[in-house]
Amino acid sequence: MKAIDEFAGRFGGRLSLDEKLIIEKQGRYFLLSENLEKLLTDTFFYAGVYLGKVKRNVFFPSFNLLRMIAEGEANKVTVDERTEWLFICGRDIFKQGIVKVTGSRNKGAHVLIMNKHGECLGFGKLLRSTDKEAGNQKVMIKNISDIGDFLRRER
Amino acid sequence: MMSGQEFFINRYRKLGWKYTSAKPMQAIRVNTANAKKEDVEQRLESRGIRLEKIRFLDNGYWIHESKISAGATSEYLLGLYSIQEAAAQIPVALFSDLRDKTVLDACAAPGGKTVQLADLMNNTGAIVALDIDRQRLTALSNHLERCGVMNTIVYKMDARHVSRLQIKFDRVLLDVPCSGNFATDNNWFHVRTFRDVERNAALQKEILAEAARVVKDNGEIVYSTCSLEPEEDELNIDWAIKNMNLRTESLNISCGEAGLTNVFRKKLDSSVENCRRIWPGQTQGFFVCKLVRRSDA
Repeated sequence: MKAIDEFAGRFGGRLSLDEKLIIEKQGRYFLLSENLEKLLTDTFFYAGVYLGKVKRNVFFPSFNLLRMIAEGEANKVTVDERTEWLFICGRDIFKQGIVKVTGSRNKGAHVLIMNKHGECLGFGKLLRSTDKEAGNQKVMIKNISDIGDFLRRER
Repeated sequence: MMSGQEFFINRYRKLGWKYTSAKPMQAIRVNTANAKKEDVEQRLESRGIRLEKIRFLDNGYWIHESKISAGATSEYLLGLYSIQEAAAQIPVALFSDLRDKTVLDACAAPGGKTVQLADLMNNTGAIVALDIDRQRLTALSNHLERCGVMNTIVYKMDARHVSRLQIKFDRVLLDVPCSGNFATDNNWFHVRTFRDVERNAALQKEILAEAARVVKDNGEIVYSTCSLEPEEDELNIDWAIKNMNLRTESLNISCGEAGLTNVFRKKLDSSVENCRRIWPGQTQGFFVCKLVRRSDA
C-alpha cells in the first residue's frame, strides 16, 4: 500500500507486507493473518495489526507499524534513560540525550527513537545534522509521535 | 427493602462468609509474548516498583510498593505488562491448549483478558472480541495496539447475537456484565439493589445460552463474574448444566473456595462445587467456572 511504503521510506526502511492481507476501513489500515481473513466480515471494528490511518491525505502510523519498521534497517536514534522518559512525555530530544545514531544523520531526516533495550518509543525529525557541532542544550530531534500517546488518548 | 449494606451482608453471612472490608492489592500481568518475566521484574524494581510473584498465577505479580504510577512507565506503554487485578487474571488461565484455536471473548472491553488470551495463544489462531459500547471498543483497540496483539477481530456486537457470525468456537470466554462487588466500589452498598442482581442474572443466562450454541462439541467455556451474588454465579451455572448440555470441570487453582451447592436452602447440582468462589481480601470478590459442551447431544 502506497502510503505505508512511502512512510517506511522516510526512515530509509522497507517493509514487505502482503498487500492481499491489508484491509482498509474508514481510512484505517489493518494487516490480517490468513486465519483472521477467513473469519472477517465487513462490520468489523478492529482487526489484526493496526497499521495506521489516513486523514486529510496525511498518513498517521500506528506504533505497531513503527515497531515493524524498526525491526529492519532504518534511521534510528538511541537515547538515554532520562531522555526516554522526557520523550514519552512529549518532549523534544537534546543532543546530550543521544547515545547512538544509525542511518541518516542529515537535517530533515525522519528517525525512529529507540531506548537502550532496542525498543521503539516513537519517531521524530532531525532539526540539525548530528555530524555538525552543536551544544548539548540544543534541540536535535523534534518529537512527532511517542508511546505516551496511549495515555493522552485516554484523557 | 432488598438493598443496602445490611441486606447484602446478611446474605453473605447466610452463605457462610463473615463480612470484612477489603482493599484489593494492585497487580500486574507480564505479557510473555513481549518480554521475559525476570526482565520486567528487574526493570520495574529499578524504577522503584517492588513486585511479588502471585502464587496462584503464572505471570501475575502484586505491586507492594511503587514510587511512580505503574500505568505510566515505558514498560507499560511498550506493552511488556498490563495492569490487571489478580482474580481477573484467573479465568483465561483456566483454558487448556489455546494455541491455534478459534476463541470468542464475548464481553471483551476494556481488553485485559483479550490481551491475556492473545499472549497465551502466542498470537496464533484467532480471537473474536465483542462489546456493545463504542467508547469501550476504542479503549479495547488501544489496549490491543499497545500490547502488539495480532490475532484479534473486534466487533461492536451484543454477545447474545454472536451466532449471527456463523462461527463455531473452540473456546469461549464469558466475563459477563455483572453487579460487581463492594471491594472495588466504595458506593456499592448504596447503589446496588437486588433488582439489579436479578436483571444481571437474566442477561447472563441469555449470554450463556448463546455461548452454548456457538461452542464446538467438547469446546470449553469459562464463565466469570466479579459478583458475590449466587444468582449471578452458582445459580446460573446450575441452570446452564441442567438446560444447555454443558458440564462443569474441576479447576486446579489454589485460590478461593468450592462453589456453593446449597444456596439459601436451595440444593444445586453437586458438580457446581467445581466452580470457585473468591470472597474479597487480597483480591476483589470473584466467581469462575469452567464448562465443557457435552458431545452426546
